[in-house]
Amino acid sequence: MTAYNLNAYMPVIILVGFAIIMIVGALIVGRFIRPHNPSDLKETVYECGEAPMGVAWSNFHVRFYVLALVFIIFDVEGALMFPVAVIFRKFNEIGSGSAVFVSLLLFIGVLLAGLVYCWSKGDLDWVKSYTQQSFNEERDEKKLA
Amino acid sequence: MNSSVVSFFAEAPPYQMAVAKLTEILGFDSSVLMAFVTFFLASFVVVNVMALVGGLGTYAERKISADLQMRLGPNRVGPFGLLQFLADGVKMILKEDIIPRDADRFLFIIAPLFCLGGVFATLAVLPFSSGFTLTHLNIGVFYLLGVSSLVGVGIFLGGFSSNSKWSMLGGMRGASQIISYEVPVTLSIITIVILSGSLAFDKVIGIQGGLPHQWFFLHNPFTLISFFVFFISALAETNRAPFDLPEAESELVSGYHTEYTGMRFAFFALAEYIEVFVVCGVAVALYLGGYQVPFHLSELHFLHDTLGVPMAPARMLGQILEIGSFVTKTIALYYVVIWIRWTLPRLRVDQLMTLCWKYLTPISLFNLVGAAFWMWAFKGESVWTLLANLTNSVGGGH
Amino acid sequence: MFDNFIFLSSAALAIGGALSVVVSTNLMHSCIYLLMSLIGVSGLYVTLSADFLAATQLVVYVGGVVILMLFAIMLTAGSDNKTVNRFGIVKIPPMGNLKTYIMSLLTAGVMGCSVLKMIMNINQTTKLGELPPYSTTVEQIGTLLVTDHVLAFEISSVLLLGALVGAAVIARPRLENEVTK
Repeated sequence: MTAYNLNAYMPVIILVGFAIIMIVGALIVGRFIRPHNPSDLKETVYECGEAPMGVAWSNFHVRFYVLALVFIIFDVEGALMFPVAVIFRKFNEIGSGSAVFVSLLLFIGVLLAGLVYCWSKGDLDWVKSYTQQSFNEERDEKKLA
Repeated sequence: MNSSVVSFFAEAPPYQMAVAKLTEILGFDSSVLMAFVTFFLASFVVVNVMALVGGLGTYAERKISADLQMRLGPNRVGPFGLLQFLADGVKMILKEDIIPRDADRFLFIIAPLFCLGGVFATLAVLPFSSGFTLTHLNIGVFYLLGVSSLVGVGIFLGGFSSNSKWSMLGGMRGASQIISYEVPVTLSIITIVILSGSLAFDKVIGIQGGLPHQWFFLHNPFTLISFFVFFISALAETNRAPFDLPEAESELVSGYHTEYTGMRFAFFALAEYIEVFVVCGVAVALYLGGYQVPFHLSELHFLHDTLGVPMAPARMLGQILEIGSFVTKTIALYYVVIWIRWTLPRLRVDQLMTLCWKYLTPISLFNLVGAAFWMWAFKGESVWTLLANLTNSVGGGH
Repeated sequence: MFDNFIFLSSAALAIGGALSVVVSTNLMHSCIYLLMSLIGVSGLYVTLSADFLAATQLVVYVGGVVILMLFAIMLTAGSDNKTVNRFGIVKIPPMGNLKTYIMSLLTAGVMGCSVLKMIMNINQTTKLGELPPYSTTVEQIGTLLVTDHVLAFEISSVLLLGALVGAAVIARPRLENEVTK
C-alpha cells in the first residue's frame, strides 16, 4: 500500500515548512519593532573600514573545482556501495557472502588505485609546490629515466 | 514498513477512537488527516525543543568556555545566566536588518533558508526513541546525508551573495570543507551499514544493545577507529573548531556571515548549533547504542508484566527512558565538541585538506574493508562474543 | 490526498525550477533554480516509492553536482561584468546558422521519439493493475548489483577511476612555457 509509505515523508515537508515559517515570521515580526535607518555608509560591505574596492566575485583557484570533482566521484562510489553494504549481511547469512565480499573488494580496490594515483602525482596537495625550479628538476628526471 | 510517531500512537486505543470519530463526522477516511495532525504536533514539539537546544547550546558554549578558562561566563540573566540566550534572541530581533547595497538580494535572502531547512529536515529521522522518532525511513542514514548537504549550499550562497571578500573566501572554504569531509563520513557510515545490514535508524540501533560492549563503538577494532574518523569528520562538517575555517575570525572577520545582521545571522547560528546536536545524535545512534537502555529496562514486557505498570503509562515510561538514554549520550558528546573547541588551535587550510584526503579517507577505506572482512570471516559477531565463544570451547575441551 | 499533494508540489518545483533556469539571466540564480528543480525530481522519485533513488538524487546532485557547478561558476566568473556572467545569455553569439539548426532538429527528433514512446506506453500500463507490494528498494537494488548486474557494478568503478584520473590530469598546474608549446 503506497499511501502509508508516503505518509512517512510528511514530517520532512512539515519541518521544511517550519523552517520557512520561522525565517519569514521572525523577519516580518521584526519589521514592526526594529529600527530602519538605512544610510549609504551602512549599506557598504565591510572591508576593514576602507571603501570596498571592486566586487568580490572574482575568479577562484581551480583547486576548488578539482576538489568538487573528486568529491562527486567518491559520492557516487558511496551511493553505489550503500545497497551492496545493506545486503551483505543477508548474503552472508545464506552462505554466499564471499561473492559480495570479493565484488566489494574489487570495487574499493579500483577506486583506491585512483586515490593512490592522485596522491603520488601530488594532486591531493592543497598548495601545489610547482616552481620553475622544481618543474625543471622533474623534467630532467623524466629525461634521465 | 516505515514506522513513525504516528504508528506508535496508532496502537493506542484513544487514537483509533479519535480516527473513527473523525471519519464519522467528516464522512471520509480521516486516518491521513489524523496522521498529518499528529506529525504536525510532533514536528512542532521537536522544532521547539531543538530551538531550545540550539539556544542553550550557545549558553553552554559560553559557560563551558568560561569554565575552561577560569572565568565566570554569562551570569546576569536568570539563574546562572540560563536565560542569556533569550536576551540574545531579543537583541537579535531588535537589530536593524541590513542588506548590503551591492549584494545579490535574492541569494542573500534565501541562503539562511538553505541552512535552516537542511538542518530541520534532518530532524525528521533523528532517533530520539523507538516511538517518538518522527519517522523511521528505510533510507534513514542516506536521507540524512543527502539533506544535510543543503547546508553546504547555504553556506556557499551566504558567502557569495554578500559580495564581500571576507564572506566570499569563507563561503568557498566552507563549501569545499563540507564536501571534502563528507567522504570520510560516508565511508564511516558504510562501515556501520555493513555490520548492521540496514540504513534505517531503528534497525541499526536495534542490533546494538544497552551496554557498552554491545555497541558498535566497541564491536570490533575497525568500528572503534571508524567512530573517531566519523567524529572528527563530523566536527569538520559542522564547521566546529578546530575546523572552523569558514568563520575564522582572526583571518576572515566572521567568514560567510560577515554581512548578515540580526535575525538573519541568528538563523545561521541556530542552524549550526542544531546541526552539532544532530551530528552528535547520529554518532550516538550509529556507534553508541542510540536510545537503547541497559538491561532492557525500557521494554514493554518488563515494565508491564514484571513491574505491573498499566499498559499506557508503561509505554510512555519506556519511551521516556529511551529518550533519556539518547539525550544523555548526545549531550555528553556535545560537551566533548565544545571542549575540543576550546582546547585545540585551528588548522591551516592546507592541513585541513591533508587531514581529510591523506589521513581520514584512506583510514576510513581501510576500516570499510576491515569491517567487510569481519562480517565475512566472523559473521558479524562482536569481539566479545567471539572471546566468550573461545573461552567456552577451551573450557569445554578440558 | 497527501500523495497528490506531494506529487503536485514536487512536480511544480521541478517544472518551475527548470523553467526559471532557462528564463533567468543570472548564472548563479540559474544554478539555485536548478537545485530546486533537482529537489523536485527527488520528490517525484519518492512518490514512485523509489526512496533510495530519491536519496541518491539528493546526495549526488544536490550535494555534489550543484556544488561543482557553483565552483565552476566561481572558476570562470569574470569580475568585469557585475551580475551577468560573461558566459551569460546576453553575450551568446547569434545562433541562427545551419549547424545550430541541425543540432536543434536532431534534439527535437530524439525528444519527440521518447515522448511518443512514453505516450504509447500509457495504454499498456493501465492493464498492469496494482503495483507490487512495497519492500525496501535498497535491498532490491543491492541484490541486483551483486547478482545480475555485478559486471556493471564493477565497470562503474573503472568509470569512476577514469573520471578521477581525468579530473586530476586536467587540473594539474602547467607552467607558462608548457602551455604555449
